[in-house]
Amino acid sequence: MQGMELTEDLFVPAEAGAGEREKIARPTRSGFQDAWIRLKRNKGAVVALVLLLALVVLAFLGPSFTRFDYYTTDYGAIFQPPNAVHWFGTDKFGRDEWSRVWYGTRISLLIAVVAAALDLLVGVTYGSVSALLGGMADAVMQRVIEVLIGIPNLIIVILLMMVMPAGIGTLIIAMSISGWANMARLVRAEILKLKNQEFVLAARLLGTPDRRIILRHLIPNTMGVIVINTMFTIPSAIFTEAFLSFIGIGLQEPKASLGVLINSGFQVINSHVFLLFVPAAVIVLIMVCFSILGDGLRDAFDPQMRT
Amino acid sequence: MKKRTAAILTLALLFSALTGCNSFTGPSGGGAGQASSGAAKATSVSLYLENEIPTLNQFAASDNIAFNILNNISEGLYRLDMNNEPQPALAKDCKISDDKLTYTFTLRDGLKFSNGDPITSKTFQETWLQQMSADAKNNYAFILTDYIVNGQEYSEKKAAADQVGIETPDDKTLVVKLKAPTPYFLSLTTFVPYYALDMDFYKKQGSGYALGKDNLVYSGPYMISQYDAASGVTLVKNPNYWDRDSVKVDTVSVKIIKEQSTAMNLYKAGQLSRVKLSATDVPAYKDSEEFITHTIFRTNFIQFNTTAEGTKNLNIRRALSLAVDNDTLVSTILNNGSEAANGVVPKAMSSGIEGKTFGSLQGRLMAFDAAKAKEYWQKGVEELGGTVPQLTLVLDDDSENKDVGTYLQSQFKSVLGIDVKLDSKTKEARRELMKTSKYQMGLNAWGADYDDPMTFLQIWTENSNGFRGNFKDTEAADGYAKLIGEAHAERDTAKRADLLVRAEKSLIADNAVVAPLYYMGSAYLVKPGVKNLVEPDSGILELKYTAVE
Amino acid sequence: MKKYILKRIVYLLVTLLVIMTATFFLMHSLPGTPFDEDKISRLSAEQQRQIYAAYGLDQPVYIQYFKYLANVFRGDFGTSTLYSGQPVAGILAARIVPSALVGIQAVLAGLAVGLILGVVAAYRHNTPLDYLTMVISVLGISVPNFVVAALLQYFFGLKWRLLPVAYWESYASSILPSLALSFGVIAQIARFVRTEMLTVLQQDYILTAKAKGLSPAKILVRHALRNSLLPVITILGAITVNVLTGSLAVESIYGVPGIGSLFVDTIKANDYSTILGLTVFYSAFYVVVILIIDILYCVIDPRIRLAPAKE
Repeated sequence: MQGMELTEDLFVPAEAGAGEREKIARPTRSGFQDAWIRLKRNKGAVVALVLLLALVVLAFLGPSFTRFDYYTTDYGAIFQPPNAVHWFGTDKFGRDEWSRVWYGTRISLLIAVVAAALDLLVGVTYGSVSALLGGMADAVMQRVIEVLIGIPNLIIVILLMMVMPAGIGTLIIAMSISGWANMARLVRAEILKLKNQEFVLAARLLGTPDRRIILRHLIPNTMGVIVINTMFTIPSAIFTEAFLSFIGIGLQEPKASLGVLINSGFQVINSHVFLLFVPAAVIVLIMVCFSILGDGLRDAFDPQMRT
Repeated sequence: MKKRTAAILTLALLFSALTGCNSFTGPSGGGAGQASSGAAKATSVSLYLENEIPTLNQFAASDNIAFNILNNISEGLYRLDMNNEPQPALAKDCKISDDKLTYTFTLRDGLKFSNGDPITSKTFQETWLQQMSADAKNNYAFILTDYIVNGQEYSEKKAAADQVGIETPDDKTLVVKLKAPTPYFLSLTTFVPYYALDMDFYKKQGSGYALGKDNLVYSGPYMISQYDAASGVTLVKNPNYWDRDSVKVDTVSVKIIKEQSTAMNLYKAGQLSRVKLSATDVPAYKDSEEFITHTIFRTNFIQFNTTAEGTKNLNIRRALSLAVDNDTLVSTILNNGSEAANGVVPKAMSSGIEGKTFGSLQGRLMAFDAAKAKEYWQKGVEELGGTVPQLTLVLDDDSENKDVGTYLQSQFKSVLGIDVKLDSKTKEARRELMKTSKYQMGLNAWGADYDDPMTFLQIWTENSNGFRGNFKDTEAADGYAKLIGEAHAERDTAKRADLLVRAEKSLIADNAVVAPLYYMGSAYLVKPGVKNLVEPDSGILELKYTAVE
Repeated sequence: MKKYILKRIVYLLVTLLVIMTATFFLMHSLPGTPFDEDKISRLSAEQQRQIYAAYGLDQPVYIQYFKYLANVFRGDFGTSTLYSGQPVAGILAARIVPSALVGIQAVLAGLAVGLILGVVAAYRHNTPLDYLTMVISVLGISVPNFVVAALLQYFFGLKWRLLPVAYWESYASSILPSLALSFGVIAQIARFVRTEMLTVLQQDYILTAKAKGLSPAKILVRHALRNSLLPVITILGAITVNVLTGSLAVESIYGVPGIGSLFVDTIKANDYSTILGLTVFYSAFYVVVILIIDILYCVIDPRIRLAPAKE
């Protein structure tokens, strides 16, 4: 339109009827729809998601690719390096490492999901409620966290193991006692910062109930912290489980998780390094995917980064 | 700005405080078996222990880690030589009466503790009485009270000290009266609970005794020059030792290293004289000239609960015993110097007959036999009415036990076709289960207290309980107890040995109360030039004869 | 503020009491005893009773509890059964020092490096530098610290002979353990700083500062960083407690005579006095750290008020 002269007769007053003033030009999208669209645009996150799904599929179907299972021993074939028959080699009992790694991935993923769920459901709620209520309620809730963390977890785990059968279920219960505490503290800190800001004041003035304030306003702004912390809780949970299983309070032989495989692999690091390398590589891969995905999620949910 | 500098200053202060009050041990005694040049050639050896030292109080010590140190800083009447034979130590000789019930020891001249206090026969008497009394916290009173007249009564406060069978007619003469003839009594005196302690010093120290290197006095080949329970000890040659000329090494540093891979790295770096090999390292180093294996008198076995569902049936127990292949277990899974067990009594253990080991008299009991195992299993199943309840094996949670458990599980599956569950627990929890008889099979181990089969065989006749599988009050149990009782009273060594052989057969083959698996062993690499680093069959470190070339 | 701190100290004591009580009773429900039951089973019933009595274990648990409390008020934390005869306070004091040194170094180093990495990554969002930080962070958190420790030991200790392989002989002995522990710290701090800063950098006041002509360095450090520190401080608390109270695996590998393995060893051995001593110490430390962090919240962000009730 360069070079064109702008005269008054080119312009006509815009019609804005009563209804039109309040019209919102873009179709409304819920928070999740919005986030999903933004996530899809993040190529890295999509790749990570696909990889993660592939790993999950392998975790469940992987063992069936070979004729070996994860527990049959073969004392004539111990400590074999990866070869055509045993794709990942064999361990000290001659068990097929390929099956064991994928079986272990299943268990580790389960632990990861439970730990993350705990963090999100219990930790976030606890922390935000504590922060919002403030005062005496906050003080009491924080003291409860301190007590839960103060009592040695190992004692509780051993006691649980006496009463309940050893295995993954008991482990999960043991981990739920205080695994979410960090998340609660983090969310509380963020909300303490946010709750005195203007947009919260505005929401309150409009009569928004507390629950909506938390869900719609406060939490989306703490998404970054929530996502990052969940990403750290996952490996922490996996290794806590490995530690417990290693000191005998958890998975019983021949079951294994990635953490247990890494522990056993470490024992023979000087002679058969592949036994450590393979499960460690799988964990790193899972973590990389979670990490990129997590970042993508954070970017997608963050109201401040709206495109 | 002020706040920041204040923060930095506090940190710096905190830092220097921490570094300062840290008890760094300083460079460890040279290196592995080094001889430094100079007029006086100082030799040193570097060793390690796999766990912290729980205590150096002889009356509180009950595990091998503590004994490893105590054995070298104290001494008793006799000491084991490199062939596991007791040789005169603080005593220069011993006369045994014809009825084998009275031992008269004559002590050497000029014996002193490191603080100058003399070592006399009274020293031994007082130490032994203290060990037998209820004040000794290590539960080793039995090693004295089982043998010495009125010892048991004294420990139960039913007899006075002067009624106990220990007499001291003069400073150099110690007369010990035994309840029954004990062919291995001299080797008993080579065991730490029999060593002499300076009781005056002990009483003066009170609750501070043995907490630090200055809270101890020494009578053995070495003294402690540095002690930290979590880092280790440094031993130096004891100039007051009666046989100091035989001690060839000047300094021994014994550190605490919990990780085998760290120990390996240190050995390769030249900072350790000896390293224990893990099972997976053995194939790589087997042919090295530094490689050496050694088994000790400690047997690992499956203990059956003879009153529990499933394992109360004799044929089931026989089947389970026969299904285990000890040789494969030892060569493939453990591969660390352990030996496949013939029975509960180690092969190298003395039989009581001069010059003959127990292993020469007893072959492999319940050797692996898949066909027979299946046979017995079938019989057992029929007797139980067609079904056998789920069997569970309880075990400790350390990696060796878990490996053994996994092996057993797979073996039972392949030979008998059954699924045995593994239940690994903490040591205390496993013991609790066994104590209260809430188990069917348990992995347990027993170490010898002295060099005679009785140290193993008699435990199944004592306050019989869950730990021993409740093997009691049956005809078979009574028969077994009778054999052991006769052996106790038998003076003829050949007849006694025969009774013991029959007893072991009854325990393992006829009644399948236990299924022995292996004798504990270790594989080591030792730096060339370090000689006579002995670990006698007891598994307790002996440093007196060590030399560095 | 002073009143607030006093209030918190009172809370601290109450919390400690609750923790101590709960631990005491739970601990006594643990299977087993401080003794070798296998060996004790060979003694007569009377002798066994004597052994329990010598440690006061033949009395009902609640009586033992009150006796323990009374002793604690007098400053006596009892003696260990695992480390026969050694006073608990002495054991703790001796073993906390090495762990503390290694821990503080790890935290400080991790904090410094983590902050730098996080700030740079946020500033250069979606550039190779950002991705590099992310990779480092993921590796730092997903590779177990004992693997890192073993690798460091092998290369720096054995192969290149730069630092001691193990033992606790001089200050140099603390370098590798601290280094191994710091990776996890770096990973977490870098991520939190980066995430928080990404949000902060979008804020209006940053734009204002830029418009006013402040240099990037000043903006980043003076304005952006300070506002990003909230989650960092929170997580620093948890990290500090974990790292300071000893990492079992790393200490085992380097032979550091620290406090890391003490918890597991004493719980497994039913060493009641030491377990309680450790619990009290660990909890007190954690609670004090939380208090410090809560105070720091107010310092860092004046908008946070801890005391008043909801409006």
